[in-house]
Amino acid sequence: MILGAQPIRGREQTMSERTATLGRLEQMVATAEEFDRVVSQALPILLDRAAGYTKRFLRETGQWTDDVAHEKFVLRWGAEYLEQFLVFGRSEVPCRPLFLLDSIVAKQHSRAEPFCYSSDLLTPLGRFIDGLVRRAAISRDALIALFHHCYGLGPGQVITVLRLNGSVSQRIYKNFQRWRGSGWKRTIESMDISETELQGLNEQQCYQRHQFNCDAERMLGLAQGHYRKSEPDHYPCLSRHQWKGMFQQGYGIEYRIWHLALCRDCLQTVWDLGFNGASDIEIPRVALQLQP
Amino acid sequence: MESERDFAAYRERILNDMREGIHRSTCESADPIQVFMNQRRVGLLDRNGGESTLHVRSQARIESIQLRSEDGVLLGGLSAPEYGFRSSRISLMHTTVELDVHNTAQGGSVRAVCIPEPGFRYHSERERVGAVDRAAQHPVAFTGVGMRAIAFTQVLLAVMLVGLVVDRTTGWMTPVHSSLPVTQADAPWAAPFGEVAKLEEQLTELSRMQTKAVETIQTHQQGMAQLQQTMAKLSSTQEAVVSNVLNVKQRRKAAGRDDERITRMIMNITQREQEQLEAEIHSLTVANDRLSQEMADLEQDNQNLKKRLQSEGVGVSKSTALDREKLALAQKNEADQTRYAPPVAKTRAVSQQPLSEGTSLESIE
Repeated sequence: MILGAQPIRGREQTMSERTATLGRLEQMVATAEEFDRVVSQALPILLDRAAGYTKRFLRETGQWTDDVAHEKFVLRWGAEYLEQFLVFGRSEVPCRPLFLLDSIVAKQHSRAEPFCYSSDLLTPLGRFIDGLVRRAAISRDALIALFHHCYGLGPGQVITVLRLNGSVSQRIYKNFQRWRGSGWKRTIESMDISETELQGLNEQQCYQRHQFNCDAERMLGLAQGHYRKSEPDHYPCLSRHQWKGMFQQGYGIEYRIWHLALCRDCLQTVWDLGFNGASDIEIPRVALQLQP
Repeated sequence: MESERDFAAYRERILNDMREGIHRSTCESADPIQVFMNQRRVGLLDRNGGESTLHVRSQARIESIQLRSEDGVLLGGLSAPEYGFRSSRISLMHTTVELDVHNTAQGGSVRAVCIPEPGFRYHSERERVGAVDRAAQHPVAFTGVGMRAIAFTQVLLAVMLVGLVVDRTTGWMTPVHSSLPVTQADAPWAAPFGEVAKLEEQLTELSRMQTKAVETIQTHQQGMAQLQQTMAKLSSTQEAVVSNVLNVKQRRKAAGRDDERITRMIMNITQREQEQLEAEIHSLTVANDRLSQEMADLEQDNQNLKKRLQSEGVGVSKSTALDREKLALAQKNEADQTRYAPPVAKTRAVSQQPLSEGTSLESIE
């Protein structure tokens, strides 16, 4: 292991404090307030524990490499599990917090594809795309912003392409505004993309535009394929005829927004239908936009 | 070394984000809340209007429910039981979300209700409703506060009065050595006339204030009495409305029962008639079948008869042709005989009847 949390932990807590905290986490907590109190004092320990399990999973499945990128990857997923634990734990009391965290992580790792892993997605470009699409699965702001980052569409064009109206259109503008205000920055931070890396990506895009967009398209397909599973079961890909019916009859607003943002093939199909002046806009090709 | 520092900074940032929790969200309190079931987005809870409800059923067992803001921050959630009910009440800014999850062998269902805080939600509605309604909504609180204020004022006044009275009484009961010339310096406790006058003025002022306070209390009491009357009227009106509604419901029920009875009767009659009709139709069908059978038999008989008639007609015509030939031959012979026979025979031949079709051979002979 090149990097580890052990030296940092050593600075934060002495061994005896750590043992005492672990002891408290193993004891039964009876109320939600007690759970909050015990857990808030032990967040670093719990984060390391969840990250440690994820690392073990990657090792056992032959996906682990000793480098910073992998260390940060397991930390990200450890944080994801810990966030769920903090929320769900309150409804699981009385419980033993440490064992509850173990069970939550074990449950996640027992799934077929617990997380979107690919060595390509650990590069700066891969992290950027993975971060965007991963965020889009849980944030409507990021979902709408995908139209901009992937195809360079503005809010007006998104409204035209998705054939939205009224209050829904207003929400699109709001989503864009919030994404530009804080969402993009937060996502970049969460994926640990530094200013230098962003600058490097910009240069790469300028000098090797074609190659850059080809790589982006490939990684986007990978990430979209994984995170589209976060859609409801009743949002599968539709045929050209079904999309036509949906757009002509004006139903399925949420369907259009959620599915088309995460499915390039269906977006192409809808584009070909040429509803409401969508054909006036150039057909969407992946042209990654790094800035919001 | 640098990568270690970088890693430590990243870890610290993650931990800080986690400590901030739901405060990381930049969404406004009126923005919708996203509901995720088993980490899949299933709908929205709108916070613009009043209460909003989301009801979702699933074929699969529900494992978890998450509430997220539009910018993706996890606001709250619930871990569902493997079997049975679980409820949770999650308090957010200006909103409370009630989550009910139910898992059965056939699948699961979740019900999420978003309830805005009363002050946040009903502000505009209250303005529309009127003072009476307001009083009716919070009579206890209003009365309690008013009563407490009045009681406090009364106690304060009483204490002040008692203090003044004690002060005056002490002054009066203290032996006054008027014969002795007492100066301010010798007797510092002795109040000068000016101060007494001031005290009297204060007392007068106090009594005026008390009068005012009593008046205010009376006004308040009157107001409260009016309010109570209004409330009583309102409650009686409400009762009347409720009783009317009940009457209407009862009438409706009675009417509904009558309608039901009539409908049932009509249906019975109709059913009976239908049965009769069906029986008649059945008998008619049977009779019709029988008649058609008979008709077919008759037709068969008719055919047979026709055939027989035809065959007999041929026999008759053949025999008739033979008779004609025989008759012609006989006539020829007779003519020959008449030419050579005596006149008697001729006379007999003249008396003979002319031959017609159908005349039998015997009669001719």
